[in-house]
Amino acid sequence: MKSYTRRGFAALALTAASALALSACGGGAEAGKEAGSPTSGEVNLIAYSGIWEEQYTKAVIEPFKAKYPDIKINFVSKRSSAEMLSALQGQKGSPGTDVAIMDNSVSTTGNRQGLFEKLDTSAVPNMANVPEKFRNKDGYGPVAMLDAVGLVYDTATFPTAPDSWKVLWDPANKGKVNIVAPPSLLGISLTAITAKMEGEDYTQSIEKATAKLKELAPSVQSFAPNPDEYQSVITGQTVIGLGQNARAQYYSDQSKKKIGVAVPKEGSVYQINTINLVKGAPHSAAAKTFINYALSAEAQSAFAKALFYAPSVTNAELPAEVKARVVATDNPDITALDIDFLSKARDKWTQEWKRQIITK
Amino acid sequence: MSIITAAGNSAPGPGLAPGVLEKAKSRRDRRTFLALLAPAILGLVASFVLPLAYMVRMSFNEGGPDGVVEEGFTLRHYIEPLGDSYFWKVTLDTFQMGLVVGVLCVLVSYPVAMFLARSTSKFKGLLTALAIAPLLTSAVVRTYGWMVILGDTGLVNSSLKSMGFITDPLKLTNNMTGVTIGLVEIFMPYAILAMISGFGRLSPQLEEAAGSLGASKFKVFTRVTLPLTLPGVLTAFLMVFVLSVSTFITPRLLGGGAVQVLATEIYDQTTGLLNWPFAAALSVILLVLFGIIISVYQRLTKKIGA
Repeated sequence: MKSYTRRGFAALALTAASALALSACGGGAEAGKEAGSPTSGEVNLIAYSGIWEEQYTKAVIEPFKAKYPDIKINFVSKRSSAEMLSALQGQKGSPGTDVAIMDNSVSTTGNRQGLFEKLDTSAVPNMANVPEKFRNKDGYGPVAMLDAVGLVYDTATFPTAPDSWKVLWDPANKGKVNIVAPPSLLGISLTAITAKMEGEDYTQSIEKATAKLKELAPSVQSFAPNPDEYQSVITGQTVIGLGQNARAQYYSDQSKKKIGVAVPKEGSVYQINTINLVKGAPHSAAAKTFINYALSAEAQSAFAKALFYAPSVTNAELPAEVKARVVATDNPDITALDIDFLSKARDKWTQEWKRQIITK
Repeated sequence: MSIITAAGNSAPGPGLAPGVLEKAKSRRDRRTFLALLAPAILGLVASFVLPLAYMVRMSFNEGGPDGVVEEGFTLRHYIEPLGDSYFWKVTLDTFQMGLVVGVLCVLVSYPVAMFLARSTSKFKGLLTALAIAPLLTSAVVRTYGWMVILGDTGLVNSSLKSMGFITDPLKLTNNMTGVTIGLVEIFMPYAILAMISGFGRLSPQLEEAAGSLGASKFKVFTRVTLPLTLPGVLTAFLMVFVLSVSTFITPRLLGGGAVQVLATEIYDQTTGLLNWPFAAALSVILLVLFGIIISVYQRLTKKIGA
């Protein structure tokens, strides 16, 4: 009887110990502590789908795999940063994701909600090459790449690139304009750009911008172009619209210069992606290895060549012809959106578009 | 609904003699009956009832603009839309879309269903299969098909243009017209199926009898054929109406962002603005509102003897 109890106790202790050990190496590592090995295992990456996934895999993930053959990267793709955030919120408590590459406006929200881990040069040495302005002031995930919103145009209709946003209002293009309306970042950006053109501070009011955009609405063929804003111009459904420089550059090559992209003289808005380590990431050690690689000069210039995103590190060298097509990261006419303000105003602006601007 | 009726019919009737043997037998019957139903009920609870309960609970939570959901109890997400004219406009548009699509769909499907129900051809099976074959392709693909056909440079506009009927393309996409055309075609197979199965009471002898007694063809149709096929028609309309008010893909793709219905509004709130409590409240409102409309409709159709 006595021995039985003792044996029972030993078994119980063993079970408890192995359970503890399992929970330590399994899901939900403690904040700040390493989980897994830095050179083996897997990394669950959440990022954009479609062309982005395709090109990032080719330019960054495959060379990474060649360098670290024992780390497997699982790419979970989402159509938007908001969808990524929503997935991460659902996993809070027992995260299944390690790394997220998403829009700055959304990752800031994630930082505020405690979804991400702070990073520094001791964990990610290549962060030393990320200039101060592209690092998070609270120490969260730094900028991984930059792009800007531009005008995507049909090169047959516009033999010379349009140089002003005003071309959208040009009666000659009536019914041939596509605008991705908010909550998309493109529509949000156009609202901010229009406010600036109308001499308005968008953090105070967008009254004038709304009135101006209302004048534009009858010219707009689609507020949700399909399959996307680039194909809409390539297939000839529309001749001009909003788009991101990087993707538009890529599609311009793909379509044999059927489309072009221009950042108008009135300036534009940056689209900034950050790379983030998920708090309690199940494979945080390997994840840091990946983040470090993603911020290497090699990965940064490879992705710039593949999809024309501007590198966020100072030591990435780009050939002149690529450099001419990625956005300059020090252009004073291209501004970053006020993220803190927009996280509150996004809903209001979306409603403003639905109620005031998009009317049949 | 049908499950409950089936359960009611199969339960041992009250007319049974109160013998011990019968009692035991009926108890065993009930047990077998429950055992047979259990997998379906379990599946339904796990995949429908629980998520629905979760959604209802979610609608009372406090939601921030950042996608933060705070557990709590607030009626804010119900009070706000119900007092908002924009929300009522969206609801009315949704209702109107369901109504128009339902009526048009029934009108174009009726002759097809009638032909298939009456046909004595050896190809009847093949023809029926053909009529419902579009269901084999996803609604997304068919919607893209309509985008190509109805677009500014699409089949319809370019044909009309080359024949000289129009100079500027008709606006057939990125508005409610396109959505309506797309939905009518997409839901036709459902309407046809519902009507074929509802045409059971129709018998050619009755029509022949009316004809031989001097009724005109039109009178035969309005006095005999139509009343007898009404149950099928009403079921088909209800089915298409329900599918239309809850559909998302077609209004989203063919509406070009200019058609706001409850489903697209819920989508924007869920994936774009991450306001899950508000999206959940809108879903509950959609469910309750159209639940009421449907039950009133069913009561009315029962009254007119359908």
